[in-house]
Amino acid sequence: MSEALMLLIAALAAGAGMAGFALSQPMHWARVAASEGAAAPRVRRGLRGAATLCLAASLVLCLAADHPTMAVLVWVMLLALAAAAVALLLAYRPRLLRGLQGATRRLAP
Amino acid sequence: MLSNFRLSMAWLHTWFGLVLGFVLVVVFFFGSLSVFDREFDRWAIPETRFEPPPMPSFDQVLLPLLQRVPPDEADYAANMPLLHDSAQGPMTPRLQLPADEFWAYTTHRDPVLAMGVGFRVPQPKDPLGHNHIHGDTTVDPRDGSLLREGRQKIGSEFFYPLHYSLHLEWKFIGFWIVALAALSMLAMLVTGLVMHRKLFAELFTFRPAKHLRRGLLDLHNLTGVVALPFHFFFAFTGLVIFAAFYYLPVSDTMLRPLAQAHAVAEAAATGLPHERAGVAAPLASVDAMVVEARRRWEARGMPGQVGFLQVHHVGDANSYVSIYRAGSDRVALVGQAVHFKGSTGEVLREEPAPTVPHGIEEFLTGLHLQHFEHWLLRWLYVFGGLLGCVCIATGFLFFVEKRKRQHAQQGLAGSRLVDALAVSTVTGMLIATAAILIANRLLPDGLADKGWWERLAFWLAWLLAAAHAFWRSAPVAQARLSPAWREQCWAIAALCPLAVLLNWATTGEHLGRTLFQYWPVAGVDLALLGTAGLAAVAARRLARRERRGPSPASGLAAKEAAHV
Repeated sequence: MSEALMLLIAALAAGAGMAGFALSQPMHWARVAASEGAAAPRVRRGLRGAATLCLAASLVLCLAADHPTMAVLVWVMLLALAAAAVALLLAYRPRLLRGLQGATRRLAP
Repeated sequence: MLSNFRLSMAWLHTWFGLVLGFVLVVVFFFGSLSVFDREFDRWAIPETRFEPPPMPSFDQVLLPLLQRVPPDEADYAANMPLLHDSAQGPMTPRLQLPADEFWAYTTHRDPVLAMGVGFRVPQPKDPLGHNHIHGDTTVDPRDGSLLREGRQKIGSEFFYPLHYSLHLEWKFIGFWIVALAALSMLAMLVTGLVMHRKLFAELFTFRPAKHLRRGLLDLHNLTGVVALPFHFFFAFTGLVIFAAFYYLPVSDTMLRPLAQAHAVAEAAATGLPHERAGVAAPLASVDAMVVEARRRWEARGMPGQVGFLQVHHVGDANSYVSIYRAGSDRVALVGQAVHFKGSTGEVLREEPAPTVPHGIEEFLTGLHLQHFEHWLLRWLYVFGGLLGCVCIATGFLFFVEKRKRQHAQQGLAGSRLVDALAVSTVTGMLIATAAILIANRLLPDGLADKGWWERLAFWLAWLLAAAHAFWRSAPVAQARLSPAWREQCWAIAALCPLAVLLNWATTGEHLGRTLFQYWPVAGVDLALLGTAGLAAVAARRLARRERRGPSPASGLAAKEAAHV
C-alpha cells in the first residue's frame, strides 16, 4: 500500500475514533439523534472501546507509513484534525453522523 | 489575593494571556507561514522557481564562487573593531581578510543554495574565541550564478525571523520578548487546563448557535484542547532551541574559560584540530569526500544527500571538512557527520550515534524546525499553528465580549482598547502580509535593496490597519460590534486575490499553469485565495450581525459572577 493511501486510511480511522468518543457522550448523542436521551451505558462503553481501537489502528498505519519519529507526530496531529472536524460536524452538520449512530444502534442493541 | 487556586489561575490566564497574546498570535501566525517559508521565497523571487537539485560539485561549482565572496560591509563595520586587537597593529582592510571557513547548505525544498565564508581576524583580542567576519551569498546551482543583492527571501528572511525575533534586533530584545511570550504560553496552557473543569466532557463541544460569548469560549477551549500537545511542544521546543545560545549563554559569559577548554579538549579527543597549524596546504577533492560520506551513510542504513558542508581552517595543514547528512527522512536534525582531513581527503572521524541527551535535543529541535520531507505533516503543522491563532484571537474576543456591556454602562474604555488592538493584531497582520506580497510583485526587480521597500510596505500597511482599527472602534464603547472587523475582512478579501493576479501579471505563472506542475507557487496562490474566501464569508456574517444589533442582555448578565 502506498504511503499516501496508508495515511489517508489513518486519517479516516482517527476521524472514526473521535466520532466514536463524541457519540459516547450524551450531549452529542442527543444532538445527532435530534432527540433527548443517551445510549445505554453498555453501548457507550462499547463505543469508547471501538473508538480506542480505531485510534490504535490509526497509529499502526502511521507507523507503517513513515519513520517512527515522524509517524508519532503525524498521528498526534491527525488526532487534533479529527477532533476538530468532529466538533465542527457536531456544531454545523450533526446529521452527517447519523450513519455512525445507526450503525452503533444495530451492532449493540 | 484571590480566594482560591482556580480564581488565581484564571487571573493569570486572563491578564498574561491578554498582554502577551498580542505577541503570541504574531509568533504563531508567522510561524505557520514559516512552515512554507522557502515556498514563499520562490513566489517572491521568480528566478528561483525550479526544482531543487542536490548539492552540486563543490570543486567545480561552489569553491570558485566561495573564493569570490567578500566580507559583508555591515558585519565588518560593526564587529571588526570589537574583535581586532589594535595594540598588535592596524585593522586588516575588509577585502584583505583571509578566509577561514567555508560552508554550504542545501535542503530538499530550496532550489538555490545558501553559502558563506567566515573570514579570520588576523590579530584578535581573544585568540581562542570565534573570530569571524561573515560573507554570505545565494547561488543558483544550475549555472553557478549568484542571486542579485537586495532580493529579499520573503519567507526565510522575513516571515521566519519575524516569528522568532519580531525583527527587533537591538540587544536581541525581540528574542527575549518572544521567549517571554513562549514561556507565558506554557503557563496559559496549564492555567487554561486548571480553569477548564469539564475537559473530556466538553472536548467536542462547540455551540455557535448560542449567544456569542458561549460560542467564543467554546471555540477557544476547542482549539486550545484538541491541539494541546502541539501548542505545548512548539512553545517548549521553541524555548529549547534558543536556550543555550540566547537565553542562558553561559558558555559565552560566565563559563567561557570552561567552554573554551572543553573545545580544545574535544578537538584533541576527536582528532579535529581546533586551531590552524600556520602551515599552508591545498584542499583535496571535496567531491570525493562527499562520495565517501554518502557511502558510509548508506553502509549504516541511512542513505541520504548532503545537507550541510563545512571547510574549517581553509588553506591550512590543519584544515578539515565536515559533511553532514540532510535529515529529511526523520525528525531529528541534520546529523551523522563525517569529517575528512582537508589536505588528503582521508576520513578523520565518523560521528557515532548521538548520546541519549543529544538525541533528545536533536529530536526536539528537529520537531520544531521541520527539515523533514513530509508534506502531510507540514500541512498539519500549519493547521496546528492556525488553531493556535484562533485560540488566542477568540481569547481576545471573549475578553471583550465579557466586559463590554459593563464597560459601556460604566463609561470605561478598556473593551474598546482591547478590541481595537485585537483588530490591529489579527486582521491587521493579514493585511500586512498581503501588502508585502503585493509590494514584492509591484516593485521592479532591479530596484536596489528591494527588500527594504517591501518591509516598508509591510510595516506601513500594518500601521494603517491599526490606525483604522482604532479610528473605527467607537461602537465598542456602546457595547456594539466594531465595524473595523468587517471592513478589514473585506480588505483582506480584496488584497489577497490582488496578490495572486499580480503574480499572474508579472510572471505569467497563473494557477492554470502551476497547479499540479509547480506546487510552491500554486500553494501560495491557493492559500491566498482560500484566505480571501474565508475573509469574505466572515465579512458577510459580521455585516449580518451588525444589522441584527446587540443581543438582548440575557439573564446571564445578572448571573455573572465577579470576573477577575
